[in-house]
Amino acid sequence: MTVFRAFLKVLNKCKVPIIMYTVMLIFFGGFNMQTSENSTNFIASKPDILIINQDKEEGITENLINYIKGKSKIIEIENNEEAINDALFYRDVNYIIYIPENYREDFLSGKEPEIKIKSTGDYQSSLAEMMLERYIKLANIYQKNLYSEQEIISKINEILAKETEIQITSKLDTNNLKKATFYYNFTNYSILAGCVYVICLILSSFKEERIAKRTIISSMNYKKYNRHLLLSNSLFAIVLWFFYVVLSFILVGNVMFTEHGIIYIVNSFVFTICAVTIAILIGNLANNKNAINGIVNVIALGSSFLCGAFVPMEWLPDTVLKIAHILPSYYFISSNEIITQLEVVNFESIKPILFNIGIILIFTIIFVLINNIVSKKKRKIA
Amino acid sequence: MFMHNLKYSIKTLFRNKMLIFWTFAFPIILGTFFNMAFSNIENSEKLEIIDIAIVNNEEFKNNEIFKETFKTLSDEKNQDRLFNTQYVTEKQAKELLENDEISGYLILEEKPKIIVTTSGINETILKSVTEEIIQISEIVKSLAESEIKKEIMAGNYNIDYEKMYKEIIEKNQKEEAKIENISNKNLSYTMIEYYTLIAMTCLYGGILGMVAINQNLANMSNNGKRISVAPTSKGKVVFSSIIASYITQIIGLSLLFLYTIFVLKVDYGTNLPLVILLGMVGSFAGLSMGLAIGTVLKTNEGIKTGILISITMLGCFLSGMMGITMKYIIDKNVPIVNKLNPASMITDGLYSLYYYDTLDRYFFNITSLLIFAFIMIYISIFSLRRQKYDSI
Repeated sequence: MTVFRAFLKVLNKCKVPIIMYTVMLIFFGGFNMQTSENSTNFIASKPDILIINQDKEEGITENLINYIKGKSKIIEIENNEEAINDALFYRDVNYIIYIPENYREDFLSGKEPEIKIKSTGDYQSSLAEMMLERYIKLANIYQKNLYSEQEIISKINEILAKETEIQITSKLDTNNLKKATFYYNFTNYSILAGCVYVICLILSSFKEERIAKRTIISSMNYKKYNRHLLLSNSLFAIVLWFFYVVLSFILVGNVMFTEHGIIYIVNSFVFTICAVTIAILIGNLANNKNAINGIVNVIALGSSFLCGAFVPMEWLPDTVLKIAHILPSYYFISSNEIITQLEVVNFESIKPILFNIGIILIFTIIFVLINNIVSKKKRKIA
Repeated sequence: MFMHNLKYSIKTLFRNKMLIFWTFAFPIILGTFFNMAFSNIENSEKLEIIDIAIVNNEEFKNNEIFKETFKTLSDEKNQDRLFNTQYVTEKQAKELLENDEISGYLILEEKPKIIVTTSGINETILKSVTEEIIQISEIVKSLAESEIKKEIMAGNYNIDYEKMYKEIIEKNQKEEAKIENISNKNLSYTMIEYYTLIAMTCLYGGILGMVAINQNLANMSNNGKRISVAPTSKGKVVFSSIIASYITQIIGLSLLFLYTIFVLKVDYGTNLPLVILLGMVGSFAGLSMGLAIGTVLKTNEGIKTGILISITMLGCFLSGMMGITMKYIIDKNVPIVNKLNPASMITDGLYSLYYYDTLDRYFFNITSLLIFAFIMIYISIFSLRRQKYDSI
């Protein structure tokens, strides 16, 4: 009990960073979690488009604007070139269409007026460009075949209304699963940083020379002392993990009550245990209390960036992912990613996840072994 | 005295390992992480060639327009290639879709039908292209009809349908939309991450200034007590400490600049002298903030450092370090916050050099930084001068 009480005292001192890691988790987790209906119908992607119309909104110009409006998300930005450029840079809009003055007249007289655009060059803007091009080509064809403006407009609309049938096979609640994956990927940072920071600080407090000397001469058996310390640390980690799991039920909701949710929870539990062993190993290696902050940042941020906790794995360069294979976080996060794609839960489909969990456990054992070697050597020096 | 104190201040600063870690090494480590995580984002946002399948049934084989269009769009030599198409049976297509090897497949029955697993951009493009083909066939049909009508009206009953169709299709393909892209070439938004990194380093430099000035404060260190009773000009000692920390800070910042430019290939735009000027003014602002916090607050060094780090991190957060859109959200909705935030002034200054051709915005940021720095310096002078201690 003495050890545990001392443990709680030190723990109380590190509440600020723990709260900070949690707030970040809630903030970034929640940031990506606008509730969206689970839909089994096809929803077409809509690029964000800004239309700057310098022509009068009539006739063919109006029709063009209406067509774009129907196929995209129109973004309103004050008509100020700097604000527009900023919006483009920060991807508030993907595509800006400048309809020139006298567009309607020039078009009707067959001049094929040029439309200026600004584009971010990503896939959303490619889609926007496809839409715009299609409209202009269509309009040009009809214009050349000598119809009146009304006729051109109604012909264009008639043709553009022809849609194709599209069918979705997956009944998976992908949106919500993606949210859960994002949340659990982010816990990689929170759990790792929380465990390493707290456990290192506690270990180094207990290792302080004067305190260490006092515990050594006390009547308490050192095995019991070590066991209590280990138990307290694990207890802390489990409480932290449990707290994050509860938080996930609040933030993610429904998905967590399914079979998929259980896999997320089990996966994160195994990772938490691994994080504890990492933390204890680092705590035994680091002698300087001041250095802990630096170490925590490098380890937690490093493995989070490298393994795709912040930036989705599919966007990471291949070389980075190859390097990431040496970190346990990689296996934790790739299991989370697999869950997103999991159609049915059975032994066959969760095999890769079990494999990943196995590797995390192997990492855990390795860390424990190294830790034994290190602490043995340190004892000899003392 | 000036040179003496300068030399020893620099020495003490460099011997402080934690300080050097946070101001020199940490930004470089963070920059490396950013580079690993972000270097591929913009490429993965570009439209990639989409894997699809088409069910190769009789309908498809007989449909010239569909066959030709998908052939052109899947042609490896075509610059505007969109698809990587496999022609398979329906069963194979289903299998490919289940194994996630294709985004979706197209099947031509009475009407074309697309089967996908989820909604997404690739699926939308497949749908969009299919629709375009349907629409083109419609146009060809309607144009052909009116063409035939014309011929018949002209009394010509001997029509070469095949030739006419070909001509109409060719005409359609030649049709081009006149679109001119006038967007700026420098659109790489991940650069903002590195700019916030520069801002962070500039402001972290404040810790150096604070530590250096604490050496001279009688209530902060024994060293300070000795200096206070020494018969030397306090101005000289304080000034040389400040210069020492500024030099240290500039060395750290130069290392970061060299690392980001030569190893991480960060693009700071073409105007290097102005980038350097911004770095120097930014460091000066960071230093002045460190001095103000160091002199105004009467607590121990740990708390002062904590406050400085929190202010810096909050500033960097608001200027986009933990999510680039944050800067834009603040700029758009509460611009005053980032007009007062030194981290954002530095980030925005670098951004304006990178993205804009004009320098108005850059100089606005430089001026803001200078004003910020002078206010901080004024506060420090105000609380530094004529200090007396009855007891410490």
